[in-house]
Amino acid sequence: MSTPSSSRLEIDGVAKAYGAVKAVESVSLAVEPGEVLALLGPSGCGKTTLLQSIAGFVVPDAGDIRLDGASILVTPPEKRRTAMLFQQYALFPHMSVRDNIGFGLRMARVPKVEAARRIEQALALVRITQLAERRPAQLSGGQRQRVALARAVVTEPRLLLLDEPLGALDQNLREEMQVELRKLQRNLGLTTVMVTHDQREAIVLSDRIAVMKEGRIEQIGTPLDIHDHPRTHYVATFTGVENLLPGRFHGEDVVELAGQRIVGVQASAAKPGAVTLAIRSEAITVLPPGQGDIEGTIGFVQMLGASVRYEVAIATGLTVTVTEVRRDAPPFELGAAVSIRLAASRCSVLAS
Amino acid sequence: MSRATILLMLPALLVLTLFGVVLASFASVSLMVLDPGSAVFHGPPTLANYTRLLGSEGAWRAVLTTLRLSAEITVLCVLFGYPLARVLARSHSRSLRRVILFCLVATFLSGGVTRAYAWLIILGNQGLINQGLRAVGLPRAALINNEFAVVVSVLNFVLPFFVLTLFGALRTIPEQLEHAARNLGASRLRSFVSVTLPLSLPGLAAATSLCFALSLGAFLFPQMLGGGRVHVLATAIYDRIQASYDIPSAAALAVLFFLLVLLMLAVVGGLRRLVAVRFAGEAA
Repeated sequence: MSTPSSSRLEIDGVAKAYGAVKAVESVSLAVEPGEVLALLGPSGCGKTTLLQSIAGFVVPDAGDIRLDGASILVTPPEKRRTAMLFQQYALFPHMSVRDNIGFGLRMARVPKVEAARRIEQALALVRITQLAERRPAQLSGGQRQRVALARAVVTEPRLLLLDEPLGALDQNLREEMQVELRKLQRNLGLTTVMVTHDQREAIVLSDRIAVMKEGRIEQIGTPLDIHDHPRTHYVATFTGVENLLPGRFHGEDVVELAGQRIVGVQASAAKPGAVTLAIRSEAITVLPPGQGDIEGTIGFVQMLGASVRYEVAIATGLTVTVTEVRRDAPPFELGAAVSIRLAASRCSVLAS
Repeated sequence: MSRATILLMLPALLVLTLFGVVLASFASVSLMVLDPGSAVFHGPPTLANYTRLLGSEGAWRAVLTTLRLSAEITVLCVLFGYPLARVLARSHSRSLRRVILFCLVATFLSGGVTRAYAWLIILGNQGLINQGLRAVGLPRAALINNEFAVVVSVLNFVLPFFVLTLFGALRTIPEQLEHAARNLGASRLRSFVSVTLPLSLPGLAAATSLCFALSLGAFLFPQMLGGGRVHVLATAIYDRIQASYDIPSAAALAVLFFLLVLLMLAVVGGLRRLVAVRFAGEAA
């Protein structure tokens, strides 16, 4: 922890099959020193297999994995220094919190005095000094998570691997730990790969997200990029884009929706013709009739407290979902004639 | 106690009472005296059988042989059974697991006498092994009517119990813990010694005590494969009845045997509790 050692990770054409099932199909990516990369996808998309390959528990059939340029493919797991935060924490039940955290240091034969100092430091880092003598069974979920984190970072790993790090926590605790985990990772400057099926977690915790589908990377980009500009139907659906609307792409940045031309959309991989347009509900505003791009009628109103959600039927019988921060003016009522305006820069034309 | 509780306990109480009555009548027979030259025994109650037994060199030798053989079998069980149970609990190959399970269950299901004969066929003077030895010009090995034959056959009898008991315990240890140990820099061996082994100790204690208790009581295999030369407690009791119709003396020996087993179970139970507190983090 004294000297953050950031490594660069390269995954080069890694593939792994279990019998006839291809878990990972030729995945290549690089994680820069200090960067957090999230592997996002549903279960069975290969993200866990990839993480286990980095940790050394799974041997890829093809490809190479390099840390700072040197292949670690034949390095056994115990020599890789890739500290993993396991989904169920995997704390040793027969050891105290202190002994759990000290395990990696004992394996590395760190001298006793120095080990004791580093354990204290790690305990303080995750604020569990007062729990040092407890057994894992006597801890709450959040406390176990902290112990697991301390145990992982105390060894000064070259790489931090997070396997659904917050999946076992309840919602409040999860948000609290998200912040803490992010701060800790920043302070330590650890190159990190995390695996999650929760897009919000990926957005909050990572610098870059690789969305995976059936063993391949479907799209890789910054959290905002993935959030605002999904390139495929799969990414749009998986990241929870509410509006997937049939439209017509005219090339460049022009798309036609419900008879109206919208200029300035993102269309990286689409061919002119019939396409699907992906727009998040918060990228649309509801305006009085005549002021927006497309005319429509309010079909449904739902109060969400801080925000309000509308379903607006637009001319062609299509319905778009709109989420707006609640303003001082009263919300539009059911059946009201309105118009909607799309933030064109946040509309994406999906590759067909 | 509600009426339902009492009703539910009734069958168990009946069985326990029956068991108690049998034991008590057994114990009372051990206090009788045999009429010399007949099979008739009578009171008044006396400890004569016990004093005779405690002074008898043969009885003590049987006790020691029984304990020694049981200990040997238990040690062998751990050596052979632990790796087998581990493979069974951890192997990703379903077919391998199936083969092992099938072999274990097949041993379970084939009767004791069948297996004893099988061992006679394998180990006998004209048995498979000796035929093989002769075929390559080696002298005949004495594999039967000795302790070796008894240990091998009893091991075959208790190993499935041991493996299946330990298998159950090993399965409850998440593989992730072993991964965590490796991930933190422990070699395969180190991960086993510091994580898997300590966590499996309660299960290991259960499996070894079961194995030891079964070996203590084994009768058929020592009788059939020991050829009258291996005297364990169970065969000694049998001999007293078969050879001299001395039922009171046999009962006394059986009572002593019973006490011995109780003592062993108490010792093992104590050890188990110690192990559970030390390693599992909570009293089991």
